[in-house]
Amino acid sequence: MASGLYSQHLRDPKVRVARNLVMGIFLFFFAAVVLFPLVYMLAWSFGPAQEMSSGSYAIFPKTWSLDSYRYFFKSNQYSVKWLWNSFVVAAATVVSNVIFASMAGYAFAKIRFKGGTFLFFLILMAMMIPYQVTQVPLYILFVNKFKMTNTFAALILPGCVTSYNIFLSKQFFSGIPTSLIENAKVEGATQFRIFRSIILPLSKTVLAVMAINTFMGSWNTFFWPFLVTSLDSMYTIQVGLKTFKFANGTLLSPMMAGAAISALPMFVLFFSLQKYFLEGVTIGAVKG
Amino acid sequence: MRSKAPALRDRRFRITLEDLNGWAFIAVAMAVFIVMTVYPVASAVITSFQNYKPFGAEWVQFDNYKTALTNDLFYKAIRNTAVYTLITVPLSLVIAFGVAVMILPFKKKTQSVFKSLYYIPAVASGVAMSVVWLWLYDSSPSGLFNQLLAFLHLPTQNWLSSSKTAMLSLILMSLLSGQGSSIIIYIAALMGIDNTYFEAAELDGATFFQKLRYIVVPLCKPTTLFLLVTGIINSFQVFMNAYMMTGGGPDNNTTMIGLLIFNNAFVYGKYGLACAQAIMLAIVIAALTAVQFKVAGDDVEY
Amino acid sequence: MKKFFALLLSLCMILGLAACGGNNDQPNSTPDTPKQDAPAPAEGDKTPDPEPAAQEDTIVIMAPPVTGDYAELLAGWIDGFQKEYPHLKVEVISTAWDDHSSKLSTMALSGEAPDIAEVSYGAIGTYVEMGVAMDVKPYLPEGALEDYDQNALDYMTLDNTLYGLPLYLTIQALGGNRQMMTDAGVDVDKVQAEGWTYEEFLKAIETGTKGDTYGFVFANAAVATGDFVSIFGVGAGITANFTKDLKYAYTSENMKTLLSSVETMVSSGWMPNYAVEAGQRLVMLETGNAMITGKAMPLFENNINKNNAGIATGEAVEGSVEVEYAFLPVPTMEGVTESCFGTVDGMIMLRNNNSTEEHLKNVGLFLNYICSGQRAADTVNQLLLACVCQSGRDAQAGADLGQDPRNAEASTRCIGIVQAPPTGITSEQAANAKTLMDETIIPKFQALLAGETTAEAMYDEVCSKAVALFGADGCETGFIK
Repeated sequence: MASGLYSQHLRDPKVRVARNLVMGIFLFFFAAVVLFPLVYMLAWSFGPAQEMSSGSYAIFPKTWSLDSYRYFFKSNQYSVKWLWNSFVVAAATVVSNVIFASMAGYAFAKIRFKGGTFLFFLILMAMMIPYQVTQVPLYILFVNKFKMTNTFAALILPGCVTSYNIFLSKQFFSGIPTSLIENAKVEGATQFRIFRSIILPLSKTVLAVMAINTFMGSWNTFFWPFLVTSLDSMYTIQVGLKTFKFANGTLLSPMMAGAAISALPMFVLFFSLQKYFLEGVTIGAVKG
Repeated sequence: MRSKAPALRDRRFRITLEDLNGWAFIAVAMAVFIVMTVYPVASAVITSFQNYKPFGAEWVQFDNYKTALTNDLFYKAIRNTAVYTLITVPLSLVIAFGVAVMILPFKKKTQSVFKSLYYIPAVASGVAMSVVWLWLYDSSPSGLFNQLLAFLHLPTQNWLSSSKTAMLSLILMSLLSGQGSSIIIYIAALMGIDNTYFEAAELDGATFFQKLRYIVVPLCKPTTLFLLVTGIINSFQVFMNAYMMTGGGPDNNTTMIGLLIFNNAFVYGKYGLACAQAIMLAIVIAALTAVQFKVAGDDVEY
Repeated sequence: MKKFFALLLSLCMILGLAACGGNNDQPNSTPDTPKQDAPAPAEGDKTPDPEPAAQEDTIVIMAPPVTGDYAELLAGWIDGFQKEYPHLKVEVISTAWDDHSSKLSTMALSGEAPDIAEVSYGAIGTYVEMGVAMDVKPYLPEGALEDYDQNALDYMTLDNTLYGLPLYLTIQALGGNRQMMTDAGVDVDKVQAEGWTYEEFLKAIETGTKGDTYGFVFANAAVATGDFVSIFGVGAGITANFTKDLKYAYTSENMKTLLSSVETMVSSGWMPNYAVEAGQRLVMLETGNAMITGKAMPLFENNINKNNAGIATGEAVEGSVEVEYAFLPVPTMEGVTESCFGTVDGMIMLRNNNSTEEHLKNVGLFLNYICSGQRAADTVNQLLLACVCQSGRDAQAGADLGQDPRNAEASTRCIGIVQAPPTGITSEQAANAKTLMDETIIPKFQALLAGETTAEAMYDEVCSKAVALFGADGCETGFIK
């Protein structure tokens, strides 16, 4: 723990309590501000499944009901399938990123090999091209060459190892003392063993961060799944949600219910992974 | 980036064990990278020199670049994007770092509550959140933000539809909704700092701010660099907010370069021009990134 | 650590399951839905070697929800078509309005465009410039074209080449609350039957503005501003981007006058001084907060009636009042022939890697099928419009749409005065006009509505940009009658 940043030996414990109280109140207040749009979304997802006039904007709806959720599930026979599709795509993307991006990140951070610097530089450069112009060549590749329209492969492959995650893990692994690795090497450990038994255990936090960010990114992607799916049954939730926007309508509550439903799996994932954010293994502790 | 490889001597042709290890570790990532990234990017570069048509593209040399560089809107879009980036990225980092540091002294339970509270907004999807923000920014007197202003006896605003407030509204939205994962990444970095550093500093009588300045900030440098670089990249490519919220208006005051590229590629069918603009954008971002790496120095190595 | 790997492993297993599940059978499809997958499986399962005699062919059509249930209607029509032509298969790609064009252009740019796609008049130029839009004339069945109104066909024509067939001609104008307008001293029947002038219109919205009610509410937030320009532009004599002699029209004297009247309206207080979201204009009409609203289509009568019915059951918008909807023409500027903004949505034929002569003939056959007869009538009836082909009108005859006869007449009259754009416009001109509209006119107009620029400054800006694109000779500077 890095709590040593804060002085634990204050003469007066009251000062410490006061300090924490002030910070706590500030954090709560700021969190309330940041969470407001989300609370608004959740509250209105229980609103009436009908059009809204701007005259009735309020923080909470006047009547509460589950109509909007029913509306969402009834609107298309595949609405549940969309959630499933999104989950499969996101889960697969997470697994391959956590394994392969972290391996690459480790290599770039701690293994000195020919071409390493250059390749890493290339990966960084690639992040700078806006995605809008890479969609067309990718589309040609997947649809024209691979004939993969409406397949999970087309949904998963483009994001299965992202430059962002390679960069993230490389930055994190750079912070791990090289001496740790050198010692292990002297004892005859192979790089793979070092990676598996020394590096990964130290990196649960960053891997959890990577996992949830990747899951979130994949779950929220709209444009690519929209391009490569044309059957209702293969839509992801984000593509399906788009059917809620009507030309002349302002169906706020059903839209919010859809958003809430699409956010739910991520809440679950977040809470199941969050202990890894907390554990935060201290490198020093392992070294000692 | 890393210190210069020992290039001299005739090691060029000798493949070491480390080389093999390195290549093996990056093999899958590189294979994916080549197919999913290098190929499309190379294709975009080629297209930028073409009057692209799916059946029979014509080579036009630098015409697309010339067209882009003689278009006022391109400069306006770059300026808008730069303003947006210069304000949101540094402020976001300060907010995320501040919140992360403030969460630290609490007990584990309290910490986890705060972390969750701050991370949760990040999980809601961008499209749905833009709808919420559209409602918050509704310009009629009954819009929520306008009700708040009226409550404070301030004049109501034409939020997204006035040149005075449109960009500000997008910046405010970005600052209040995009910090979750930065906070978590900072916390991960802070947790990794060995307590012995602080114990030693405390023995020397260092104050809280001295510890922050001389221990935490330097040790978080790789993280800061990462967040800064990715923050700037994302911010320069930002597209969704202008697309969903303002359509670039009013008077092109929120036209971001990402929106311009999207419009050229998918609305006007000028794909070659879009590619040229994208590549110029990439060059700008690359230059900025290079500066950041230079300023931040080499990666911190222990 | 073990748990972490366990988690990863379980994810892997899920993935494995899904990979098997995805292709043949959905493991968890909802139990209450019958196993009724979309009719045509994707590519990849073409029978190894079709007998040459059968000449099987697959036609791909891409359509947004033109009407609420267009996808279902389409499926029904395709069944009918395939009974007649068993060797032809039709695949449908359904899209949402918002993203229809971005998906279509990606596919087109990739050389994988659908054979037929729904496109509105303004966007045809983009696909012609891309080199994927096809001249349909050689591929349509003999005599098919005679069925369609020339006026509507003109909309599908650029540089004298026909690129598709029209589905419907839609008019966009204004809609109002009949009772409120009568109370404000407007002779609504007369306006519907004969049109009105700017003076009459301004007088009406001035009298109509009281308390919480605005005389006039136009959806003008973000890109919806463009509608204001095009709809009122027609009332000011700018019936298309280009005049009959192919000069750019938004640089004319008419534009100058239009902009100053808009300036007057904005500062008058008879319109909200804030931006109104597209969805809100109709809601404001329903709640009695607006007397006249725009843009409006005849179709809105259905929305209003539905809302009226919902007042008793509580399904209406909160605060709704009973509204009698009147479809209204746009006021006409002095010295200008009355006209109405119309645009055609149609189906265009696109080139892709699959385009052989034989295939295109089949596509032409289906294209004509989907745009004519009962199909056209079913589509258009839901939009409360009239068909643009004789076979459609025949099928439509006698259908009771439940429309107020006065609105029906007004709508017919408006359709009658719509002027089709000149057919000699080149695709380059069309594309440039679109860019100018999106990058200069609409943004400047947003500023004008926000009170941040003047009519004169905007007019000068438009002129200088237009001259740069079309040359001084290519721009109309006089008054268009």
